[in-house]
Amino acid sequence: MKKMNVRVQRFDPGQDEKPHFQTYLVEVNEGARVLHVLHAVHDEIDPTLSYRWCCGSGQCGSCAVRVNGEPVLACMEEARDAMTIEPLKLPVKKDLVVDLEPALDALSHIEPTGSAAMPTREEVELIKPLRSCIGCLACVSVCPAMDVTSFAGPTAMRQDFRLALDPRDTKDRVTEAVSKGLFTCTSCQACWKVCPKDIQIPGKAIEKLRSLANKKGLTLPRHQEVAKMVRETGRSVSRTEPTFMEQVGEVIEPHGPVKATVGFFVGCMYNQRLPQTALDAIEVLRRNGIRVIIPKEQVCCGSPLIRTGQLDFLDTLKRRNIDAFAFRNIDTVLTMCAGCGSTLKHDYRTPFRVMDINELLTRYGIEPPARLPLKATYHDPCHLLRGQGIRDLPRELITQVVNLVEMPSVCCGSGGGVRSGVPEEAAALAEKRREEIEKTGADIVISSCPFCEFHIMEHTDRPVKNVTTLLLEGYREKDRKKAENTV
Amino acid sequence: MYVYYPPYNKMRSADVLDCHVLVIGSGGAGVRAAIEASGYGETILVSKTLTGKGGCTTMAEGGYNAVLREQDSCEIHFEDTMKGGAYLNDPELVRILVDEAPMRIRDLLQWGAVFDVTDCCEVAQRPFGGQRFPRTCYAGDRTGHEMMATLVERLAGAGVEVMNEVTALDLLKDGDRVVGAVGLDEKSELLAIRADSTVLATGGGTRIYDISTNSSSGTGDGFAIGYRAGAELIDMEMVQFHPTGAVYPYDARGRLITEAVRGEGGILKNSLGERFMSRYDPERMELSTRDVVSRAIATEILEGRCTAHGGVFLDVTHLPGQQIEEKLPVMLEQFLKFGVDIREEPMEVAPTAHHMMGGLRITPKCETTVIGLFACGEVAGGVHGANRLGGNALADTQVFGKRAGESAGKAKKKRGRIDKRALDAQETRLSAFFDGEVPPSTVARSLRTAMWEGAGIFRTARELEKTLGVITHLSSLPVKAAGRSNLAECCILQNMLTTASLVVKGALIRKESRGAHVRKDVTQTWDPQTSPYGHSYQSLTRTGIETVVKA
Repeated sequence: MKKMNVRVQRFDPGQDEKPHFQTYLVEVNEGARVLHVLHAVHDEIDPTLSYRWCCGSGQCGSCAVRVNGEPVLACMEEARDAMTIEPLKLPVKKDLVVDLEPALDALSHIEPTGSAAMPTREEVELIKPLRSCIGCLACVSVCPAMDVTSFAGPTAMRQDFRLALDPRDTKDRVTEAVSKGLFTCTSCQACWKVCPKDIQIPGKAIEKLRSLANKKGLTLPRHQEVAKMVRETGRSVSRTEPTFMEQVGEVIEPHGPVKATVGFFVGCMYNQRLPQTALDAIEVLRRNGIRVIIPKEQVCCGSPLIRTGQLDFLDTLKRRNIDAFAFRNIDTVLTMCAGCGSTLKHDYRTPFRVMDINELLTRYGIEPPARLPLKATYHDPCHLLRGQGIRDLPRELITQVVNLVEMPSVCCGSGGGVRSGVPEEAAALAEKRREEIEKTGADIVISSCPFCEFHIMEHTDRPVKNVTTLLLEGYREKDRKKAENTV
Repeated sequence: MYVYYPPYNKMRSADVLDCHVLVIGSGGAGVRAAIEASGYGETILVSKTLTGKGGCTTMAEGGYNAVLREQDSCEIHFEDTMKGGAYLNDPELVRILVDEAPMRIRDLLQWGAVFDVTDCCEVAQRPFGGQRFPRTCYAGDRTGHEMMATLVERLAGAGVEVMNEVTALDLLKDGDRVVGAVGLDEKSELLAIRADSTVLATGGGTRIYDISTNSSSGTGDGFAIGYRAGAELIDMEMVQFHPTGAVYPYDARGRLITEAVRGEGGILKNSLGERFMSRYDPERMELSTRDVVSRAIATEILEGRCTAHGGVFLDVTHLPGQQIEEKLPVMLEQFLKFGVDIREEPMEVAPTAHHMMGGLRITPKCETTVIGLFACGEVAGGVHGANRLGGNALADTQVFGKRAGESAGKAKKKRGRIDKRALDAQETRLSAFFDGEVPPSTVARSLRTAMWEGAGIFRTARELEKTLGVITHLSSLPVKAAGRSNLAECCILQNMLTTASLVVKGALIRKESRGAHVRKDVTQTWDPQTSPYGHSYQSLTRTGIETVVKA
């Protein structure tokens, strides 16, 4: 047996004005789950605590709660001392019991042909992963799009695609999904990352439905324009000034000895819209012994097409990009755009290793920059945090220059084609970011993705900077101080 | 509409709803019954949990037995089921089960169920214990979940009024006739539902044991509710201990490790590394019937050949990783969560209380012995005899769920009256809990321990009498509700106590070892086929055991 202190959110709408926390000291067995802690509170201390549970083995989805802010199944998550247990971010009925019924009732149900003709084995294999949903609604509780726009939510999309795949269903689920907000998903992956059954809803349902929608001519006009531009120019955005690649040579040598050589996959945004940020990054790389090769024939990674379900031209892009680096025998390709990085890592089969710039700089170590007297907050790019699992590395770099104040990691609204396709939703999500940024009291906002940086810039009065730009400013301050001392 | 005024102001006046068919229970049998009944008139389904999440169907992993191949036959399925049930099964009910299971799986397939299929687009089948043909259809190791997902989708299209998180307390009667039920809604307010027919589909009750596979709803409510309403129950002593429950971590002990693990080729070994089933059933080995495998494992453990956590090994490490990932994904995922990769190391398992073979006595039309009351699924008795074959329960839910729904639906629309005094009695019963002293969780814990120790796999009259004494004592304690939200819990505890006493009394009545019921203090000269005994039976008015006159 072991003792632990836990904080549990209590709320009885019949009696309380607002939720409050109560701390309990409980004794539980070795290996106890969060559910067993709740049982201990209920059985030994306070029988009025309400929580929902059923199977106790991760199969029914009754007991999802938030532990230290993260949605988990109480019956499967190991209990930890000093944890905070809260209900999912859904309407609370009492204590940890939330209202699951509206979202569950809204799921489409099959309207069968009436024949028992079986799906083929291939179809079954496609449907099965989508079918393991246990309806815990952790995904719904974290979906940012549902907060600001009319979107039926991740698991509704999962169900629509499951039905679209089934030859026994008679309805047009693709058109249905579009009307339920198929194009409002920002591909932030939050739903997937909290899913206890690891159902990759954005990639395995939403993007697939969008590609079916594409075949039906239902792709949004703005997305079609992006696809047209990629086909015609190899780039997903237009240029507003001389591009990054026009301003640099193909090989950039570092200032000192060479620690590593990498190929640089620039990405459309840094090349066409934010070339100065990429130039800043190059300066930081040169200062830290990284030799950079920039094959000029590289094109768009295809992410804007994959996210919006327009796959016709994708293979051409992939081949051109892979060839550009493989031809030069490059074994490591550097990305600084979170979206490109995630796409090269997950949607490509590359003969080279792909590394995000935060990984590269922390791997080889950086020259210490000077500290700047600023308070910064960091916006986690979805495609870096959830797409590539990179959370701590940018923070390691940032805190070498400035003090960091955290804010919750939520999508800014720029991804998944939402900025171009559903701009009012993208703006609403960015407004929520602005509010969070203001709460931190930070002087500047740091991120590590051109889409996030570009989008958030439009919605906050604080400067928004890339991690590498911040590092460069730290180096410039260092150089300035050094110059002062030598004078 | 009947207007009800409560005697005190403590309770809001009870709402009275009206319908043709009331179904109590939202597992596979209840939802199937409601779907069927909805074709005959207004149907209400009352669920203690959220429909689709509660009950044990959604946790059922291994599969659904149905004769689908030419090489197989319903006759063999019948024989396997009777033999597995130690010939205590009601042959007529078994005949229905095996004949209709294929049709009912076709219903599910028509409604969109995604079972595993072969390369020829036929439903795939795997071998299960005690069966001479691999006839267990499956969806990986989440077969029950797949069925519930399908049924809940169908229910959504059937126009049934679903009332979630409503706890049925008791059946309401007009004379001899059941005319609906009274329950507590999600706000713990009293609620009465008048119905022409009522279907009990509340599932089993092995949560009366310390170690059990059951979900939170497996508290035996239907047995107790039916008993109080005057229904006769049979074979309540027949409790199946599933051979393979988890043993670690402590709080997860009893969690079901599906028979599909052995169906896919898993082998059992004791701590000496011996494949011990060769001593107990050399022919069928790991795929013997559950009663035999449970006793074998229990014996190995009792004789000290057990693992550090007090179990035996169940090993699939010799199987290809891909087979484990595709056929046993839930097992793989659950064990990984607990730090064991079953592709690399063996599981540790021990028997766990699983299924109640006994229950309300039913006719082939699922009529109970009380007019107006029907029963299906695990709450009904007679289908599985003294031991249920793995894969027959899911089939049971569909075959008898459909029959119960149909019979209830076809019953005459006969307006019974709700007796105000019955509602007053419920008020009085509930009010008393506020003056109670002992938390229900404390009583439940004592009950579970007593049942595990005194009415488990191996039984004697002495131990059973002692256990009955404990149950009687626990039943006399004044149970306390700390608030309105605890009222249902108090009532459920009373149901658990009633169910436990039915199990123990049944076990005392049956002075023989048969199937899952082993009386170590009885020496017998007969085998199951020549047993002089038939069903044990218990009701408010009579208790005993049928004796069979042998030709």
